[in-house]
Amino acid sequence: MEEVDKILIHSLRQVGTEVGEDVLSVKQFSSELIVEAVVRCLRVIEPSLGSGLSHVLPPGMSARFRLGMSLAQACQDLGYKGEIGYQTFLYSNEPEIRSLLMFLVERLRRESAESSDQPAGKSALLQRAIGAKIKAQLSVPWVPPSCRVPFLCQSQTPGSLHGFHARPLSLPQSSKVSRTTTKELKEYCQEHLPPVTAQMSQQPSVPASLLEWHAAELSAALEWEGEWNSQGLVSRLTPEEYKARKRQRFRKRIQDQLRHAAQSRSDSQHASRSSSDLADLLRSFTGGAGGRDVLAKGTRFTHTEKFAFTQEPEKAAQQMTTAAESLPSSRRTEQDLQAQQEEEVTSLQGQLEQLSLRIEEVGADVKKITVAISQVSDELKQKELGNAEKEQSLRVKKQTMDLLPDAENNLDKLQVLVEGSAKRVVSLASQWEKHRAPLIEEHRRLKELCSSRELESTRRLSEIKGLHEKIRQAAEEAKKKEGLYRQLMTEFETLPKDVSRSAYTQRILEIVGNIKKQKEEITKILSDTKDLQKEINSLTGKLDRTFAVTDELVFKDAKKDESVRKAYKYLAALHENCTQLIQTIEDTGTIMREIRDLEEQIETENGKKTVSNLEKILEDYKAIRQENSALAAKIREA
Amino acid sequence: MIKLLEKLPRTECPKFLHRVIDGVCGRDPPRLHDYSSVWSLREWLELVDTLSSIFRTAIGKKMSDEEVQQSINWLDIGYQEAILTCLKGRKEEIRQALVEKTNAISSTQLQDFDWQIKLALSSDKISSLQIPLLNLDLDTKENGVLKPLSIEMNREELQNLINSLESANKVVLQLK
Repeated sequence: MEEVDKILIHSLRQVGTEVGEDVLSVKQFSSELIVEAVVRCLRVIEPSLGSGLSHVLPPGMSARFRLGMSLAQACQDLGYKGEIGYQTFLYSNEPEIRSLLMFLVERLRRESAESSDQPAGKSALLQRAIGAKIKAQLSVPWVPPSCRVPFLCQSQTPGSLHGFHARPLSLPQSSKVSRTTTKELKEYCQEHLPPVTAQMSQQPSVPASLLEWHAAELSAALEWEGEWNSQGLVSRLTPEEYKARKRQRFRKRIQDQLRHAAQSRSDSQHASRSSSDLADLLRSFTGGAGGRDVLAKGTRFTHTEKFAFTQEPEKAAQQMTTAAESLPSSRRTEQDLQAQQEEEVTSLQGQLEQLSLRIEEVGADVKKITVAISQVSDELKQKELGNAEKEQSLRVKKQTMDLLPDAENNLDKLQVLVEGSAKRVVSLASQWEKHRAPLIEEHRRLKELCSSRELESTRRLSEIKGLHEKIRQAAEEAKKKEGLYRQLMTEFETLPKDVSRSAYTQRILEIVGNIKKQKEEITKILSDTKDLQKEINSLTGKLDRTFAVTDELVFKDAKKDESVRKAYKYLAALHENCTQLIQTIEDTGTIMREIRDLEEQIETENGKKTVSNLEKILEDYKAIRQENSALAAKIREA
Repeated sequence: MIKLLEKLPRTECPKFLHRVIDGVCGRDPPRLHDYSSVWSLREWLELVDTLSSIFRTAIGKKMSDEEVQQSINWLDIGYQEAILTCLKGRKEEIRQALVEKTNAISSTQLQDFDWQIKLALSSDKISSLQIPLLNLDLDTKENGVLKPLSIEMNREELQNLINSLESANKVVLQLK
C-alpha cells in the first residue's frame, strides 16, 4: 500500500497539489487536502468541469456540503463507478479515497500521454511559451508604479513603445540590385555606404527595416521558386529568357489596358478632368522604366487630350468676358481701359478663331489632297502593270508573225526543240529524284531525332520536377523531425528526474514474482488439504467398515457371553464418544474461522475512522443547526 | 543653380551626392545643419532640388553619359565626373526606387503596417472579460500625405479582414 500511496502523492504533486512533506500515505490526508487534490486533478482532466470548483474548502458547513456534492457529481460524470457522495470528501475513509484518487490519477496519465503524442512544431512551442508567460504575468498582482521592484518593472511598465516603421535600406548584396558589380558601385560600397545601423536617423526603425527587407526578399524568392517550378520549367527557357518573355507580356497587357481606357475616354468627350488624370499617369510612366517608346506613339490619345485642353481656356475666357460685361460700372476710366482691352481681346480671339478655322480648313484640304494622291498613284501602278502585260503579249505575237512565212520548217524546228526540252526536263527530274531521296531521308532522320530529343527532354523535365518535389518533401520532413526532436529534448529536460521508471518496473516485476511464489504456495497448500481430505475420507471409511465388522462379531458373541456383551456396550460407547469428539473438533474449526472473519471486519471498520467521523458529523450537525438558528434569528430581526 | 555645388570642396563632393541620392531613394536626405557653413537655406533648397531632379531624370529617361554631361556642362569638369561616378554606382538603386514610386499609382496606398495584440481583462460592466483584441495600425499615403489609420478588431472581425485580403490576393494572382 505504501508504494501505491507514494505514486499517488507524487502525481498529485505534479498536478499542483501542495502535499506536505510529512504526509506519507493516503491515511494522513485531511479533508482539505482531499478536496484540493480532487479539484486539481479534475482541472487537468476536464478543464470545463474543474474550472467552476474552488480548491479551498469553504468555512460554512452548507457550502462545504454543496462543494462535496458537486465534486461527487463531477467524478461520476468522469465515469467513476464506485460509491461516492459528499461524505467521501468530508468524512473520508482511507480505501474509498484511495480508489477515487487512483481512478483520477489513471485518467490523468492517459490524458497527458495523449497530448504529448501529438507532434508540435516550433510555432506550437512558441505559443505554449507565450501562454505560460502571460499566465505568469496575469497571476502577479498589479502594483502601483512607485512601489515596483525591478522584477515587476519589466513586466508591468509599458516600456517605450515604438511603432513598426520600415524604410528602404541600401545593401550591397541584394537580389534587387543586379549582380554585376561595376567599379563605381564597388567604390560606393567601400567608401561611402554607411553600415546598416547608421543608415536610419531613428534607431528603433532599424530592426523593423531589416525585418521588412528580409521578409520581402524571402517572399520574392519563394514566389519565384514556386512559379519557376510550376511554369518556368515547362516552358524550357532559361530563367532570363523566361523573365524577359514575362516582362514583354506584361508590357503588352498594360499597353492594351491603357489604350482601351484612353479610347473609352475619347468616346465620352466630356470627362476632361479624368483624362487629365490619365495624362498625369502617362507622364509618370514616361518617367518610369518601361513602355516609354510605346506610349509616345499613342497618337490618338494625345490628339484628344490636346483638343480637350485647347478648348478649355477658350471657354474660360469667354465666360470671363461675359462676367466682366455683366458687372456694374463704377469707375469710368478703368472701364474704358477694360472695354478697350476687351475689344482687343475679342478682336484677337476672332482672329484666332478665324486662323484656327482656316488651319482646320487647310488641314482638311491637305488630307483630301493626300487621299487623292494616293488614289491616283494606285491607279497609275495598276495601269503600268496592265501596260507591261500588254507589251509582253505584243512581243509574242510579233515573233509568231515573223515565223509564219516558213511554217513547215519552223514547225519541225519547234518540235525538235520541244522534244529536246522534254528530254532535258526528264533528265533533270531524274537528277532531282536522285538528290531528293537522300535529302528526304536526312530530313526524316532529323525529324525523328528531334522528336526523340523532345521526348527525352520532357522525360527529364518530369524527372526534375519529381526531384524538386522530393527535395521539398525531404526538407519539410527533416524540418518537422528536427522540430519534433528539439521539442522532445526540451520535454525530456523538463521531465522530473526523481522518479526513475526502471525502479518502478523493477518493483513491479518483484511484486509479480512474489505473487507467483505465493500462488505456488497456495496451490501446494491446496493439494495438501486435498490429500488430507482424501486420507480423512479413507480413514473414515476404514473406521466404518472395521466398526461394522467388529460390531457384527462382537454382537454375535454377545448373545453367548455376558462379558462380551459388556465389551459390546463399551465398544458402542467408544464409537459414539469418538464421533462426538470429531464433531466438536470440526465445530471448533468453524468457530475459529468465524472469529477470524469477525476480527477482519473489526479491522476494516476501525480503518473507517467511524468514531472520529461520527464525532465530526455530530459537530458539523451542531454547526449547521447553529447556522440555521443564526439565519432564523436574522430573518426574525428583519 | 547647379553652380552652387562648386562651393563644396571637390573631396567632400561624393559624400554629399550620395546623401542626396539616399534622399531620392526614400531614406534620410542630407541635413543643412551639416553644411550650414557652405550654403544658405535658400541655396541649399535649390541645390538639393536641382540635384535630385537631375538624378531622377537621368535614370528615368535612361540617358547616356554624354547626355547627362550635357545637362551639367556649366560645372567644373571634376564636379561633373563626381556626379557621373555617383550616378553610375547608384543606378540600379535609383531605378528601383523610381519603379516603386511608379508602382504606387493609386490615390491611396499602403505604406506600412504594425500590429499589437491586447488582452482585455475586464470592462466597465463585466469584471472578467479575457477577450483578445488586435490593434492594427495602417500608414496610408493619400495623395502624397501620410495618413495613419488605427483599427481595433476582435477575432471575428480580424478573420473577416483576412478573408477579404486573401480574396483580393487571388485576383492579383490571376492577373499575373
